[in-house]
Amino acid sequence: MKYIIIASMVGLFPFSIYADVPQKRHIDPVTSAITWKTHVEGVYFSLTQILPEQAKAFFVNRGFSLEQIESYTSSCVYMTVLRNDSAPGDIHFIRNNWLILVKNMPHKLVPVSEWVKRLSTTGAKKSAVIAFRWAQFPPEQEYKPGGDWNQGMLSIGLPPGSIFDVIAKWDIADKEYEAKLAEVQCAK
Amino acid sequence: MLNRHSIHYFVGLTALLLVLFNNSHGEGLPPLTHNLTPVNTTIKAPELRFQNMDEEMVDIKDLKGKVVVVNFWATWCPPCRREMGSMERLYQAVKDKNVVILAVNIGEDMDTVFSFLGMVEPTPNFQMLFDYEAVSMNKWGVKGLPTTYIIKPDGTIAYTAVGGREFDHPNIIQKLTQLGL
Repeated sequence: MKYIIIASMVGLFPFSIYADVPQKRHIDPVTSAITWKTHVEGVYFSLTQILPEQAKAFFVNRGFSLEQIESYTSSCVYMTVLRNDSAPGDIHFIRNNWLILVKNMPHKLVPVSEWVKRLSTTGAKKSAVIAFRWAQFPPEQEYKPGGDWNQGMLSIGLPPGSIFDVIAKWDIADKEYEAKLAEVQCAK
Repeated sequence: MLNRHSIHYFVGLTALLLVLFNNSHGEGLPPLTHNLTPVNTTIKAPELRFQNMDEEMVDIKDLKGKVVVVNFWATWCPPCRREMGSMERLYQAVKDKNVVILAVNIGEDMDTVFSFLGMVEPTPNFQMLFDYEAVSMNKWGVKGLPTTYIIKPDGTIAYTAVGGREFDHPNIIQKLTQLGL
């Protein structure tokens, strides 16, 4: 036991434990963007910060004006990855069933369809809105074991610097599974 | 001439690309795999008819008798960019084995795609099609980019792959070659 404690203190065990779910935090040495990630029952789940200026640059290059995309880029956006490496079957999720907790209080995600509706009324070019829609993490999806996955943007809808927990949920043949990332921080 | 705003956003875009790609090979993103999921029921490939780079209409119906790889992608999609070079190496390995690759770009113009292709190593030589309105996404049941379908010579779907892959892996080359025999 003494050796485990010492090993943890010197960083040999980089995992943190939140509510029985091991998670790892990584700071990119080049960009300083923080990634939170975990691996539960053969499924990989991660969130990587996208700074508001980075999100603006991405969408301005897709054809949005700053004014049109400001509400989205300032809403705490992450690059999200979910991948079925070796789950016991096909996984299925509905993103709006995922739970965001701010100080243990639930916080609702704005659906992708709602973002598309909002942005479509700003006068944005159709090609820009199409890029926005398909750059988002899928609202619903199925992944076969062996490496099906997606990488996409996810807006949490919180101010910069906010801290929250996210619980991603999926099901395999009607059995529910979840992965939690705790104390995730919105980029400032 | 570059003004302060454009420099600002060029720097921001560069930083975002670093977020998306720098950690794609390190701690951030999982490596691409080479798994294809077999489709065990008989599902006919939906319709697909778009212009290519030469502004000629390409219709999947006319490719009956060939194995067709249909890849939905966009230049701004990081895993699409990651897999594009491997798609060309796959093409070089199977182009004489009754296999055709159709990469369907979603929502972008030819200039954007042309500029991007110049940066891919090796440069893609397979067909690029343009779905400007993203109408194929619903028809094909695509929920995220990239998504790839392998179509048998009889026009039914043999395999699917959701998310990026290393398409030049020997296992994938072998599967496609067998389908084309």
